[in-house]
Amino acid sequence: MNIENTQSQMRKGVLEFCILSIIKRGEVYPSDIIEEMKRANLNILEGTLYPLLTRLKNADLLTYRWVESTGGPPRKYFSLTDKGAGFYAELQATWNELANAVHALTQNEQAIDTNPNNFNQ
Amino acid sequence: MKKVININFQGRVIPIEETAYETLKQYVESLRRYFASEEGKDEIISDIENRIAELFDEKLKKGAVCIADEDVNVVMASMGRPEDFEQEEAAYTSGTTANAGAGNYTQSAIPEPAPAPRRLYRAENDRVLGGVCAGIANYLRIDPAVVRIIFALIAFGGFGFGFLLYIILWIILPSKPLQTNVRKRLYRDPDNKMIGGVASGLSAYFNIDTWIPRLIFLLPFVLSLLPNLFNGFWWHWKGPWVAFSGLGGTFFVTYIILWIVLPRAVTASEKLEMRGEKIDLESIKNTVQEELQNVKGRSEKIGAELKERSKDVGQEISSAIQQKTQAFASEVGPFAKKAGTGIGNAIGVLFKAFFLFIAGIVAFALLIALIALLYSGIGIFPLKNFLLEGFWENFLVWSVLTMFIGVPIIAFIVWIARRMMRVKSGNPYLGYAFGSLWIIGLVSVFVLIGMISGNFRTKTSATEQVSITQPSTGKMIVKVSDGKIRYYSSDWFDGELPFLSMNEDSMLLNTVRVKVVKSGDSSYHIQMVKLARGNTPAIAEKNAANVHFPVTQNDSVIVLPKGFPISKEDKFRNQQVMLVIEVPVGKKIMIDKSIDWFDWFDINIDRRRRWNIDWDERWDNSYSWRNNVQYIMTADGLERMDKNEEDKGKLKSGKFRLKADENGVEIEAEGEMDTGKGTYRYKQQGDSIIIEKGKKPAPPKSPAPPPAPVQERKASVSSDDGKVEKVVRARAREDLHSPFHFLSGR
Repeated sequence: MNIENTQSQMRKGVLEFCILSIIKRGEVYPSDIIEEMKRANLNILEGTLYPLLTRLKNADLLTYRWVESTGGPPRKYFSLTDKGAGFYAELQATWNELANAVHALTQNEQAIDTNPNNFNQ
Repeated sequence: MKKVININFQGRVIPIEETAYETLKQYVESLRRYFASEEGKDEIISDIENRIAELFDEKLKKGAVCIADEDVNVVMASMGRPEDFEQEEAAYTSGTTANAGAGNYTQSAIPEPAPAPRRLYRAENDRVLGGVCAGIANYLRIDPAVVRIIFALIAFGGFGFGFLLYIILWIILPSKPLQTNVRKRLYRDPDNKMIGGVASGLSAYFNIDTWIPRLIFLLPFVLSLLPNLFNGFWWHWKGPWVAFSGLGGTFFVTYIILWIVLPRAVTASEKLEMRGEKIDLESIKNTVQEELQNVKGRSEKIGAELKERSKDVGQEISSAIQQKTQAFASEVGPFAKKAGTGIGNAIGVLFKAFFLFIAGIVAFALLIALIALLYSGIGIFPLKNFLLEGFWENFLVWSVLTMFIGVPIIAFIVWIARRMMRVKSGNPYLGYAFGSLWIIGLVSVFVLIGMISGNFRTKTSATEQVSITQPSTGKMIVKVSDGKIRYYSSDWFDGELPFLSMNEDSMLLNTVRVKVVKSGDSSYHIQMVKLARGNTPAIAEKNAANVHFPVTQNDSVIVLPKGFPISKEDKFRNQQVMLVIEVPVGKKIMIDKSIDWFDWFDINIDRRRRWNIDWDERWDNSYSWRNNVQYIMTADGLERMDKNEEDKGKLKSGKFRLKADENGVEIEAEGEMDTGKGTYRYKQQGDSIIIEKGKKPAPPKSPAPPPAPVQERKASVSSDDGKVEKVVRARAREDLHSPFHFLSGR
């Protein structure tokens, strides 16, 4: 069992959720997402962000708009679709459940009672 | 000192160092390959490129003169290299991308503890036809290219069995986007190469020593050279054909095609892919075992579930049933819908498969044709010695064969192979190179045609008198020698081509014609007209003079040789021999059946500039003859001696009566025969045959009294010439067309 693998798996599991949470706040430019995540100490490669955005867009969860920029070609700004908003809400519910569960489990200091008679009530 | 170039990158002009540009290009290329099977890959690449361009732009705005190596490295580090993605995505993709696009995100967001049980699918994202091969490859965890090649071999080798199997799998297997689970592909290995890196790439793929594929490629080639060495290699050197002939040639062509088709492993990830994980029987066995385990585990689970359920009663069951049926209904609904479109799908699939099958067969046939062409090259090639003269014509033939014929075939095979291996054609110059080579070949074709037809431009003749002694019997017989002259070499063209036989040095032609004319004096004469073509009249004359056709005489029998040889130096220039036999009046001639041996054909390439002498018209007054028939020359011309026997009487117009019963056959005809007007009677009774011919040229104004029913019509014939004859013809036809009429007869 590789610790790095487990760590990255943990991170990846919430990656979409995190990205969607940033986009939910308003139209964003992909490199802003990177910045935002960096600030929150969640480093991802830009090269993995673009494919992910494309996949989410193809799943109708995201949409984008071309915005003129000063000096340079227009940029793609991403925002959530209605479907994406619903999707995010579900993710959030799951996350809350999961966070509570994880919290409850990890904070529980009580030793487990292994007596089978007490288990099946 | 570094060269700086300006590039237009996603709509921005970026000055960049050349080395940095190369790095950038390779990086983008590696990304392109990495995302090759991704849906929307173009969009992803262009997004990334856009971002890179933006970063460069920022850099330049900050005052940098140009983009240097380190800038590209920084960008690459922040964007990530394919190797980095692989590490990052390894754990991640198995959970998410498989479900990307599907609606049931909520479930998949919770990572599954164990990898989903493997099933055989068709790969939706990685397919040439229906994704069956990629699906199988995914299932077995091997390179799709390998499965495709095996399938292609089965399809062609097994006479459509593999093809049928493919279609069946296509129809029954569900389609699903599959993430490639193989980190192994066929590449050319540039680090370890001797020529193109094909052998070393193969060795890396199959995890064997490099010398093994090298030896396999080289050995047949060397072996095909060895006998030549012992035979006095330098005397038998046949030019580049040695590279194409035999087994060595097949491997040679295979090597070239693999060279073109396989991509070079440039980046680290590609090199990793090239070595990949081991595939052998062990790993395939493991895969299958794993699958069986899965099935077992599942069935146990279902069994346990059933047991548990059976404990529960009443309500539980009914609610469960209700739930199940609902679930079933909701599952079946879309499935039934799918089945409806499934038929349309299947038809579409069949059509597509059919066309690709045809294309495949065409490609295969072309490949076979190429190999056959290469193999037979030496067999056919003696012919060229007789057609071509000079260095340039030979050179052009080579150019035509390799460029005009060879290049498109190779290009087509490469294209098919590329499709099969799903390699993007990264190099447009290859297409240009093929194209320009083919254009050169095309030009060669025209020039060659021009040159060869120039060689046949003019036709001249050389006439010579054949000295003969007058036959004592007053009859001349012309026949062809039955001696056997034959040049044995390749028996390819026996009787198929206008020449008898040939070997590398000479060719035997039988373009001989015999004409009969009336002699001016009282003795037989024979004139031999030798005809040939050439670029100029002088050359044509020389070619004609070189024809050697010795006629021998045995008293009354004139014996002609079976043909005349032309040597490699003479070249084939449509040489012909015309034998003009002059027969004096009152003398006889018979031309033997053996004269059929001869052939006659005319190659007349240049019709416009035809300044040939009118050699043919000179003998226009010759007579037609049939062989094996005796003729006598009269003042009016050639006449048959056996006329009576031959003259069966052909009714041109008039009428006839036919009677056939148990006694025999009786035919009576009257009217215009080919011998003039008259009657004809044929009666066969038992063994006897009676033929009566009344050769009375029915005078138009004195009606003859033949039998009654005939007379009526006869009268109408003879009364008037023009109009009524038509009526009679019609009647005669009427008679012909109603069998009962003349069967009922008298």
